[in-house]
This record gives sequence, structure tokens and C-alpha cells, in this order.
Amino acid sequence: MLTSTAASSRALDELERALRRTPPVTTGFVEYRFSHLLKKPLHVSGSLEYRADGVLARQVEVPYRELTEVSGDQVRIERADRPARTLSLQRAPQLRVMLGSFRALLEGRLAPLSQDFEVTLTEGDSHWTLTLVPRDARLLKALARIQVSGSADRPDCIAALEPDGDAAFTLLESVPATTAQPARATLEHRCHLDAIAPRAQTPAS
Amino acid sequence: MNRRGWLLLAAWCVLLAVGVAWIQSRLHVSADLRLFMPKPRGEQQRLLVQNIGESPASRLLLVALDGDQPPVLAGISKSLTLALASRPEFGLVANGAQAPVAIPETLLPYRYLLTDSFDLHSLDARTVESALADRAADMASPASTLIEAWVPRDPTLEVLHLADRWQPRAEPRRIDDAWFTADGRRALLLVETRAAAFDPDGQTTALHALRAEFERARGASAARLTASGSGYFSSVIKQRTQAEAGWFGGIATAGMILLLWFAYRHAGFTLLGALPLASGALAGLAVVSWLFESVHGITLAFGFTLIGVAQDYPMHLFSHLRHGESALVTARRVWPPLATGVASTCVAYLAFLISGVTGLAQLACLTACGLIVAGLTTRYLLPRVTPPAAHDPADSKLLARINDRLSRLPRPFALLLVIPLAAALVFWLRPEGFWQNDLSKLTPVPPALLRQDLALRHELATPDLRYLLVASGADAQEVLARLESLDDSLAQAVNRGAIGAYDHAARYLPSDARQRARQAKLPDTAELERLLHVAAESSPFDAQLFAPFVADIARARELRPLSPADLAATPLSLRIDSALFDRGGRWYGLVSLFDVHDPGAMAALGNAASPFVTFLDLKDASEQLVAAHRSHILLCLDVSALLLVVVIGFALRRVSRVLRVLAPMVLTTLVILAVLRASGVSLNLFHLISLVLAAGLGLDYALFFEHASDDPAEQRRTLHALLVCALSTLLVFALLAFSTVPVLAAIGITVSLGVVSNFVLALLLTRERVAA
Repeated sequence: MLTSTAASSRALDELERALRRTPPVTTGFVEYRFSHLLKKPLHVSGSLEYRADGVLARQVEVPYRELTEVSGDQVRIERADRPARTLSLQRAPQLRVMLGSFRALLEGRLAPLSQDFEVTLTEGDSHWTLTLVPRDARLLKALARIQVSGSADRPDCIAALEPDGDAAFTLLESVPATTAQPARATLEHRCHLDAIAPRAQTPAS
Repeated sequence: MNRRGWLLLAAWCVLLAVGVAWIQSRLHVSADLRLFMPKPRGEQQRLLVQNIGESPASRLLLVALDGDQPPVLAGISKSLTLALASRPEFGLVANGAQAPVAIPETLLPYRYLLTDSFDLHSLDARTVESALADRAADMASPASTLIEAWVPRDPTLEVLHLADRWQPRAEPRRIDDAWFTADGRRALLLVETRAAAFDPDGQTTALHALRAEFERARGASAARLTASGSGYFSSVIKQRTQAEAGWFGGIATAGMILLLWFAYRHAGFTLLGALPLASGALAGLAVVSWLFESVHGITLAFGFTLIGVAQDYPMHLFSHLRHGESALVTARRVWPPLATGVASTCVAYLAFLISGVTGLAQLACLTACGLIVAGLTTRYLLPRVTPPAAHDPADSKLLARINDRLSRLPRPFALLLVIPLAAALVFWLRPEGFWQNDLSKLTPVPPALLRQDLALRHELATPDLRYLLVASGADAQEVLARLESLDDSLAQAVNRGAIGAYDHAARYLPSDARQRARQAKLPDTAELERLLHVAAESSPFDAQLFAPFVADIARARELRPLSPADLAATPLSLRIDSALFDRGGRWYGLVSLFDVHDPGAMAALGNAASPFVTFLDLKDASEQLVAAHRSHILLCLDVSALLLVVVIGFALRRVSRVLRVLAPMVLTTLVILAVLRASGVSLNLFHLISLVLAAGLGLDYALFFEHASDDPAEQRRTLHALLVCALSTLLVFALLAFSTVPVLAAIGITVSLGVVSNFVLALLLTRERVAA
């Protein structure tokens, strides 16, 4: 595993070319969330869509229906039969950066990522891992890093790791929808977290 | 002039200098228009007078930055906002970077008294259960980062709900956390001045501070700053008026010096001629500043205009000087017409003294005292320092020829009939728009500035400047309760599209009663813990997690309701102070309206609400006020005219003499009115004051022409005096007529017309025809 800057930058270009998609792009997802506030991890699934008009949509299907749409500066969250909530991303920089990374990955445009993140690419035999560390100190307090792993031209896991040990794992596309709750270690393995440098803290769950 | 004369002159000048110093230390000039308004009638006018120039919307300066790349402009906007917020000239400064008005940390437990979330459904099992389910879903959504920290303390997210509720309804676009116009080329800021909109000096100071801070914030950028708003306009107009007045004043002074030198061929006369006017003006000012706490700027401006008549007094003395005759004797000779003029004018001003309008009483006092002192100094002081005449106007060949020609002119007494008839015809043909009621026309703003203002207002979504709802009450709580009672109908008005949005103090700070009602509905600790325990069963949360929430509710149940005083020094006070205040012991709450589409519906809403709620149409109310004001002044003028006739009658004793003296000024007034109306000018207050001045001039001309004896030499001297008077006045006011400031132009045109018409009519109608 080599990560010299020049090599990494060339590798990043190659990865970007491989990942490049023309919107609309749709993919299924399953998300597991581990938090110290929760008795047990949360688990939702649905689809992520990057539309031709630049709108990012996250549709949760199970266990309830929820649609999050990001268009420009506005995020609109509509859950079941509740009135939609709208918030401005200007007021929520963390959310803006996180959603920006989703959009970049779906569309396969990695260059904008380096605005908000320190981007490192690590390549293994059968997979690659992108590590995104926020540049903003304030953001760093809420989000230690985002780690995206995949193989060839397909990302398949996005792991958002918080400094307090909380984490969200988003598995993309080909994931079989399991009803059983996988252990955190299983998810970390699937997202190649264990292959990377030391974990910040012991997970809380 | 002998030694005694020089000593007297020196003493006079010293006295004037002392007077200037004393007045400077004492005179407080106010810009508060309210001094110049009649007692308001009715709630609308009372509110208008109380709030004129002080409503939150009118104190906002709209600021735009352009001329550079958006990120640079956003940076300047940020540092400018920080700098302005620490200056004493400004209150609220907003550029879009501010976090939503959040509830201050110290007041956090109060959120359960401030929020309307549990008004409909109290904090019961269902509410708690659905809140926990929602928070669980939030935890699994991208928004989790935003709310995670609040879940244990605030599972119903009242903090976010309040922040949402306190958000401005519409906001400009943001770039890099700064407001921008929709096209993204101009950064926008809203700056609230502490000075009222009608206080041009305060506004000028604030604008200077704004520009200075902008220069500092700008650094090397090529960015430009544009300001707009009512306060900006008042500053611009004052500066323009001052600049033009100074410019015209300079030319007029030079012209006067030339004219006086040409008339008397003696530099000393030019200087001495200024003494009575200066003495009168100072005396008037001294008396006014002694009698009144503060003097309005308009009083000063109008007062000095009206005292201008006194500039003629020394001319009468100088022109009537004879070789070998002491100036004191001359003074005694010109005194009867002069004294009649001064006395009748002053008695006429009595009507203004008792008008009940402070500004008008000040005006009358200033003018009357000024004229009396100018008259007395011309009679008793000026002759003692006047050098012997360089030449007697009676010896002038040119004047003799002119006098001869003029004497042979026919006496067109038909004018007595023709002028009134012609004027009546004009008034009949042009009945519409006789009076100008629109206040905005009085302080006219260049149309380009108005368009820019409108565009910025639209971009910044500021509240409507014209329409307001006002609730009043004995104390703040009564007003807050009345504002709350309006909420239902206001919400309906928004739904029906009558208005886009509204804002008032009770949206931020509910009344005591409402806070107590909410408090009473909150569950006690045991009950809440039980609710949480049940709800947590079916949720991914542990009931213990919500201990901070239970503690906050327990505290909220014990709190004394939040009062306006508790909010001092919090960001919320910025929202409340300008919308909830007491004036003279009574409390007022303003409801700002946004995007008023149906004023009629809002007026109906105001009428249907309690009698303590008033719909205020500032434009309408101000027009009514101006009209009321004017009829007040007209009444005063009628009384003055009557008094004037009585004094003149008393002085001249014979009806034929009285008629000859009064005819020119009455006819001139008609001529001026007819000419203005024929050219489509609507009359305003400034025209009225100018008419009064013109009438005063006409009276003096007529008195002197009437007084001139049969002696041809003396007739020539009188003609000389009146020519100098009329020409010098005409010089000053004809210049003013060219002003681009409409107020100055109105005064200039009216008085110029008056001088010409008065002089010609006095010459033709008042002067006895001399048998050739």
C-alpha cells in the first residue's frame, strides 16, 4: 500500500475517472447507526439518488418512509405524514459537508471534496479506501473522518466516524437486505476500517 | 461720525458678539418634527405623531456593497457587521451571518413558557411517544449531527422550534454566510440607527460612521457602498439644502454689497445696514431660546426668512438722508410708516403665538421680537452711528426722470376688479390639487434614489413602511395580551393572502397570562418520568437518557414568567425594544406587516379588533395631519389679517388711506396664488410662509408710498429707498427660485413674484398721482 502524494494524486484521478457517472444516478443503501444515546443501533434502508437537476434525494423505505432532498442550500425532510421540514445548509455546515461528500461520490467528482477534506487514497489488492478528514476545526469536533471504500468503479461503503465513538455505516447497492442486526465489528470489517490505521477510540456500543 | 458715535458702534458690535456667544451656549436646535405639528386629533394621528420617524422600519438603513467578487464582498460584509455592532450609533446590524435568533443559554428553561407547541396538545403520553419516535428517526437521518446534542435535554426540540418561529419570514440569498441580491452581485446589510429618521444630523453622523467603518473593512478591495432608507434621505436632503443655501447665500451677499454700494456710494452704509437685521435676529433667537426648551430647525429657517423684511429698514433711513440734516431727524421722519409696518406685522403674529402649535408660537415669537428690535435699532441706534450721506438721492437726475415717468403712469383702478376676477377664474378652472398634502413631496428625494430604495427593500424583505397595526394599553402585559389576541386573525390574513407575513413582540415574548397558562399545563416530575418510561419502552432510547429534560421541565414549572426587562442585553431585546415601548406612560405594541396586498382587509381587521388596536396608514394619516395642520395655520392667518387691518386702521384713521395701503398686498396675494395655480403648482406650507413674507413686504412698500409727501425731493428719496429694498429682496429670492431643492425654489418663486407684484401695485395704486 503506497500513498505518496504524487502517486496518490494520479491514483485519485484514475479513481475519479472510474467512478464518474452522468446523473441521474440511483443506488440502494442500508444504513446502520451506532450512538451512545441509543440502547441498540438503528437500521434503515432505501435508495439514494442524484438527479439530473442536481438534487440529491435520500429515500428511506424501511422501517418508515422518509424523503430527504438537498437542492442548492436547502434541505427538505419529509417524514411519513408529517409536514415537511426545511433547513438551510448555510446554518448547518456539518450537514452541508456530509451531504456534499455523498453527492461527490454518487456523481464521481472527487475534486470538490478536497475543499472541505484532507483526502487520502489507499489502495489494496481488491479494494480501495478514501479517507476524508474535515479541514474545519469546528467540524472536526463533530466528525472525525469519513471513510469510503469500494472496489474497481464502485463505492460500496461510507463510514462516518465521530470523535466520541458514534458511527454511521452506509452500505451501497449490492448489499443483501439482512433483517438481522450485524455486529459493529462485522460492519467495520466490511468497510475495511480494520485495515486502516488505529481507530480513534473504542466503540461505545 | 464723532467719537461718541464710534464708541456706540463698538459697544453695539460687542453686544452683538456677546449675544452670539450666549445664544450658542443656550440654543438647543431640535429636529423633532413633532414640535411643528398641531395637537393630533384621533388615535391615528396621535400614533402617527408619536411614532413618526421612530418606527423600527423607518430607522433601518439599507446597505449594499458591490464592485468586487462575491467572496470578497462577503468578507467585507462580515467585518463591517462586526465593527458596526460595537458602535454607539447603531442598534441591530444584520448581514445574514447571524445564527437564527436563539434563546440565550440562561433562559433555556423558559422555552416551555415561550413555545406554542403544547398549546393545542399538552405534553402528554402521545406527545412524548411521538417525540421519541421522531428523534429516533432523526438519529438515523443525515440531520442527526444537528440534533444529537439536544436529544437528552430537549426531545421535543423546542429550541429549534423557537429558532424557526423567530426566523425572519423571507430572507435574501446567502453567499458565504452573507446576504446577497438575487443576482449575487451585491452584498446586503440591514443597519438600525439609534437616531430617528427625521433627525438629519444624527443620521449624518451615523452615515459617516458607516462609511468610515466600510473604508476600514474594505482594505484594498475596489468595493463600493450604497446606503438607502428614510434616514439616509433626510441626511441627503439636509446636505443638499445646506450646500445650495450656502452657495446662493454667497452670491446674494456679493450682489447685495454691489447694490448697496451703487445705491449709497459708501462702504460704511453697506456694513451698517446689516446691524439692525443682525440685532433683530439675535434678539429674536435670545427670546425664543429663553422661553422655549428647544427650537425647531424649521422655526429658525422660516423665522430668518420672515425677519428678512427688516433688511429694508436701514434702507429707508439711508435713502431719506438729506445734506446737512442729522440722521436722527431723518429717522424721526421715516418712523411713522416704519413703526406702522412693524407694529401691524407684530400684532398679526400674535395669532400664531396662541395657535397651540409650539413651532408656530416659536416662529411668531422669533419674528415679532426680531422685527421690533430691528425697527427700534433703526430708529434709535443706527442714526447715531450713521455717517453723513455721500449724496442725496433727491439730487439724482436719473431718479428724477424715473420718478417723473412713474408719476405720469395711469392709475389702473380697474385692477381692483380684474385681478380678483382673473384669480377666481384660475381657481375655478383648476380646482384639483389646490393643496399639497403628500409629506413625501415636501422632502423630495431624487427618483433614482427612490427606485434604488424600492429595489433594496424588495431584496431585503423589510416590513411595509406605510401600514402598521398598533395595540396600546396601560402596561406592557396588557399590550402583549392584545397582540396575542390578534394572532388568529393575522394568521387568517396571511392564509387569505392579504399580507405576506407579520411580526410583533408577543411572538417572541408571550404575555404573563399565557406563560402562566402554559406553566400550569406542564406535567410534574413524577408524571413526566412515568410518561418517558412508557414511551422509551418501544423506542431505541433509554428513559434515563432524558434526565436533563425532566430537570428543565421541573424548573420551568417554578419560573416567574419572563418579562421584557429580563430580556435586556439578550439578542431578543433587539427584536422587542423597537416593537414594544412606552410613550408618556402608555404602552404601545407595533405589528409590522410584510407584503401588504390588501390594505382594506387589514383596516377591517384593525377595526374589528378591540378599540385599543388601530390600523395605521402612515401616508393617509400624515396627509390628514398636514391638512389639519394647514387649516390651523389658515385660521391663524385669517385672524392675523383681521388684526393687521385693525392696527392699520388705527394708525391711518381714514378708510381711503387704509384701502390704498392694503390693496397691493391683498391683490398680490391673489396674483401669486393665481400664477402658482395656473402653472399647476399645489400649495404647501412653504408657499404659505412665503405668502406671509410677501404680504409683509407689500405692506411696507405701500406704507412708505402712502406716506411720501407732496415734496418731489422727498418722493424721489422714497422711490430710491423702495427701489433698493425691492431690488435687494428680489436679488436674494430670485436666486433661491433657481434652487434644485424644491422647498427653497418654492420660497424663492413665491417671494420673487410677491416683490414684483407688490412694488408695481403699490406704485400704481397707493402712490398719489402728482399733478404734472
